Amino acid sequence: MERWIVVTLIIAVYLVATLAIGLLAGRRASHSVAGYVAGDRSFGLVVMYFVTGATVFSSFAFLGGPGWAYSRGAAAFYILGYGVLGIAPFYWMGPRIGALGRRLGHVTQAQMITGRFPSRALSALIAVMSLIAFVPYITIQIRGAGIVIEAVTDGHVPLWIGALAAYGIVILYVLVSGVMAVGWTNTFQGVFMVVIAWSLGLYLPYRLYGGVGPMFERIAAARPELLVPPGLAASGEPWSWGAYSSYILVSAVGLMMWPHLFMKAYTAKDDDTLRRTVILFPTFQLFLIPVFLIGFSGVLFPEAPPDPDSILPFMILRTDLPALVVGLFCAGALSASMSTGDALLHASASVVVEDGVARYVRLDDRVQRILMRALVLLTGAVSYWFALDEDSSLVQLLASAYGIVSQLAPPVVAALYWRRATTGGVAAGLIAGWATAAFFYLNPELKPFGLHEGVLGLLVHVPVLVGVSLAMQPQPERLLNEFFDEGGDAGEMGG
Amino acid sequence: MSLRTARTLTAAYLGATLVALTWPGALPAARIRPLVLGLPFALFWAAAWILGTLVVLYLLDRVERRHRSEGNH
Repeated sequence: MERWIVVTLIIAVYLVATLAIGLLAGRRASHSVAGYVAGDRSFGLVVMYFVTGATVFSSFAFLGGPGWAYSRGAAAFYILGYGVLGIAPFYWMGPRIGALGRRLGHVTQAQMITGRFPSRALSALIAVMSLIAFVPYITIQIRGAGIVIEAVTDGHVPLWIGALAAYGIVILYVLVSGVMAVGWTNTFQGVFMVVIAWSLGLYLPYRLYGGVGPMFERIAAARPELLVPPGLAASGEPWSWGAYSSYILVSAVGLMMWPHLFMKAYTAKDDDTLRRTVILFPTFQLFLIPVFLIGFSGVLFPEAPPDPDSILPFMILRTDLPALVVGLFCAGALSASMSTGDALLHASASVVVEDGVARYVRLDDRVQRILMRALVLLTGAVSYWFALDEDSSLVQLLASAYGIVSQLAPPVVAALYWRRATTGGVAAGLIAGWATAAFFYLNPELKPFGLHEGVLGLLVHVPVLVGVSLAMQPQPERLLNEFFDEGGDAGEMGG
Repeated sequence: MSLRTARTLTAAYLGATLVALTWPGALPAARIRPLVLGLPFALFWAAAWILGTLVVLYLLDRVERRHRSEGNH
């Protein structure tokens, strides 16, 4: 049998298994918004660990990570640096957000923020900006799935069919089962990603160079500039320390502000589960090391892939691995794409309905769930349409998506820890931050020290938030007492 | 160890990690040699700080846990 047929069969088996897990998972959830969005707050440690890991690491890490290591060298190390820094504060913030959610009934980030800073317009603004950040991110995932399938089947399954098959399945299980499907499929996909990355990342250097050390010795002799941070820019010129450092900073600040990750605080069974997920996260993070090794193994390879992002499938196909292994690798890469894509689709629909529509129109539970499903379908279709477009500016859009989500950090921190912050201050800060980030995104040549536009946005955002809040009357005492649960009669604690 | 000390030390470690991985703290480690476990020194440096987070968060959790169980009596 020809190799591409074997590979296609393995992918088909993998997709059917994912679908089965996704559909079965939904049978455990209640038919309510809390069930569809927050999984009835029932996720245990194993599920939370893999949900968080598999959701954080997407096509960007699995295909983009090796692509960066291959073409930009040590610049890729920034991806290793920010994850743990971003998630560690959630050891404290996560349980606090989860307890607020249980007490006040929040299932989204904007509900938490506007629980403290009541404003329908603020809620709708956050929903719209989240959606703008989500669409390019989903598009990248869909395109990643299509690229991998097309590459490993030698073009017999074109991008549009591969992407359609993979995301048809994602949409089906998200529609039917909501976040329960995301949880259980991500557990399956997370295991897959980790095993594939480590085995391939160690195998390729041994197969081609006789070991990891010998591989780096040879790269150090031929291309030493690739092994020293801050590495290279996309153009091949040296990257700047300002850009490298501010990418780490903005990604660390923005990471847990992605609504699809933030909302995981509402899915955990209890506070200890959340805390242990944070503690164990560094073990998942280290899987980027073999991912980089895969990219570095291509540096001295005589042939080059059509573009850096396809270095992974390119290397797989040139090391005469058996078709079975190629198929399994492909399933791993699809896992990376689908496990992030499903969470993104699910979260974008939940956010638009809960924080946008439901704040203006009274909807019952059943109508909300129907509307969310319609939006999953719509967002999926729009992103799929973008994914077929070759336009590479989407990659640029994704980088700037961090400029958008990182601006959600000051309102979240202010809501949880600063009683003097006011609705006006938070709204003014958000608008100033987003406007600044947008300005430098559109005028990159004006960025001081090559700093990421998200960091520049934060530099304007925080003083505006503080200044406007202090200039205004404090929030009403009753609201603060209810939010912080200090006022006596509402003494029931979560957990 | 008191809760306050544990939290301060954890926050200090996280702050140190940020400094160690960005300019200017990353400058001394921005080199290839010595290779550690076959990895260029800069990559090993980043990985080591991340593994350190695992240890620090685990220790913090032990203190927080003891404190919570005492608080509930």
